Amino acid sequence: MSQQKNLLIIDDDPDFVDGLKSILKTANYSVDAAYNPKDGFQALQSKCYDLLLLDVMMGRGAEGIMLARKINKDPKLREIPVLIITGIREQMAFLFPGQAVHPHLLPVDELLEKPVEPKLLLEKVSTLLKTAEVRKAQTKK
Amino acid sequence: MKKYAYFPGCSLEKMAMSYHLSTLETTRKLGVELKELEDWNCCGATAYFHVDELLAHTLCARNLAIAEKEKLDLVAPCSGCYKNLYFASAHLKKDPDLAEHINIALQEDNLHYSGNVKVQHLIEVFVNDIGLNEIKAKVTQPLRDLRVAPYYGCQILRPKKDDEDVEQPRFFEDLISSTGATPVDFPLKLRCCGGALIITSRTSALSMVRNLLQNAINSGANVIATACPLCQVNLECYQKQVNQEFGTELSIPIMYFTQLIGLAFGIPPKNLGVGTELVSTRPVLSYAEK
Amino acid sequence: MVTRPSFSEEIAGLLHATHANAIKTCIQCGTCSGSCPVAKFMDHSPRKIIAMINAGLKDRILNCNTYWYCASCYYCTVRCPRGIDIAELMYALKRYSIWKNQYKDGLVGPVFSETFVKTILKSGRSYEPVLATSYFFTFGLQDMLLEAQTATSLMLKGRLPVLPPRIKRLENFRRVIRKIIPLGEPS
Repeated sequence: MSQQKNLLIIDDDPDFVDGLKSILKTANYSVDAAYNPKDGFQALQSKCYDLLLLDVMMGRGAEGIMLARKINKDPKLREIPVLIITGIREQMAFLFPGQAVHPHLLPVDELLEKPVEPKLLLEKVSTLLKTAEVRKAQTKK
Repeated sequence: MKKYAYFPGCSLEKMAMSYHLSTLETTRKLGVELKELEDWNCCGATAYFHVDELLAHTLCARNLAIAEKEKLDLVAPCSGCYKNLYFASAHLKKDPDLAEHINIALQEDNLHYSGNVKVQHLIEVFVNDIGLNEIKAKVTQPLRDLRVAPYYGCQILRPKKDDEDVEQPRFFEDLISSTGATPVDFPLKLRCCGGALIITSRTSALSMVRNLLQNAINSGANVIATACPLCQVNLECYQKQVNQEFGTELSIPIMYFTQLIGLAFGIPPKNLGVGTELVSTRPVLSYAEK
Repeated sequence: MVTRPSFSEEIAGLLHATHANAIKTCIQCGTCSGSCPVAKFMDHSPRKIIAMINAGLKDRILNCNTYWYCASCYYCTVRCPRGIDIAELMYALKRYSIWKNQYKDGLVGPVFSETFVKTILKSGRSYEPVLATSYFFTFGLQDMLLEAQTATSLMLKGRLPVLPPRIKRLENFRRVIRKIIPLGEPS
């Protein structure tokens, strides 16, 4: 079944969101965006999304992580596959000595660092969507 | 004996040692126990808010959690530390998501903060908890005729916490009167000393310090009393720089309010850290001698 | 569908104390500028900065010294008739400026803040002598000599720390920080 997949981006950098949107639209995904954690959480509750692209550094600091925990607590939302996109190495270059750490906050999540390479982004999105479908099929059995 | 958790802050170890010494001496004389907070970390000052707010709140939350473990309320002699700790506690109480996030992190140090610690500035403890009558009762060498400019500075009263008077407070003046000294009318008593600007924007800070020193001298003060180590350092240690920058000849001793109280209590000046100043406080000492 | 946020909305998102975009409610009365002890040294006064934010003049704002010269004295905040937390707004601009790595040339503030943050993350406490390196070399010779003189006098009075202090439970502290901000380990 080839339904168009609905993706949601939650990221407070409008330029970066525009960039992501244009990459994702080339692969025929339908993309919505929210620019802060509060709007993002509302969007998740108002519409059913197939995948979430979540920024880590928002608002007062790493609020993306706070949002991820909130999503994890909600039984209806926690199965959504999440691509965690972190710009922390760019944003706080002076603090960052090493590799970005995958926080592992949700059942199906992956980490991607900014700046984002279009091919890698599309690969990860497609892998996550497949993983989520397999999980859904398994739980249905 | 009233007991508090005491948060000295980074400056009181060395730079503002006299504040630390005079604080402990005077509170001891007044029957208050200040127990230094175990393994406290820096409050983040202003620089942390330039980089990441969550991180800044976490630094304070750790200190608050340690105080909560001891079941004590927290007292900070530095206005910057006081402001950071007070508002970190207030934000955590108001925002359960934030509190949950920070507490998950604090678990790594076996700590948890539930919002039960009251944060006060040291001067509040003197004025509200101990009370002016108690202080007056312990004065043995009233600082008669000493004219003191009460320098509140900015972060003791601002941002507003409750319905306190942020434009025309009088508690510092009343505290000075209780030592027998005379508080002068000091119009710039609430104006900022520049704080960290003395490093990041030297000319503007020196100009602010110059205005404060001039205003206090014009008001007829013999000494400026402060309640914050940053204020004391800015006002005292840069008088030479101010004079060089503006061609002035300003000179006035700057002391902590706890040192003045200590002198009035008859505590030997050396025990109050007197003598570590760059601008001599000898003229002030003569007012305490009987 | 949410529209792309304006610069004013982006900044409002960085403010903890934001009351739903209160920056937009500014009536340009100038109370903030009048109360600000540093206004005369700023490229643009606080009032002007707020007007510029509402007009979306992002680059001009980021490249001026105004918010890096803010002393956080909060006079503007307690006096603003609209209840805009202007001092916090200045903090938000500082964070935005460090995030985008965009600020006016020659400013000491950004380097100083970064050094300060690094020092505390390393040891849990601040250490003045290390901080001095972030500004000392921006001074002219005369200022440098006077500064060295002051530092020496302070040292002789025992007021300068010799060794950098550190907290005892430093490892735990570092782990706490990593739970707040997913910093990597050195590879």
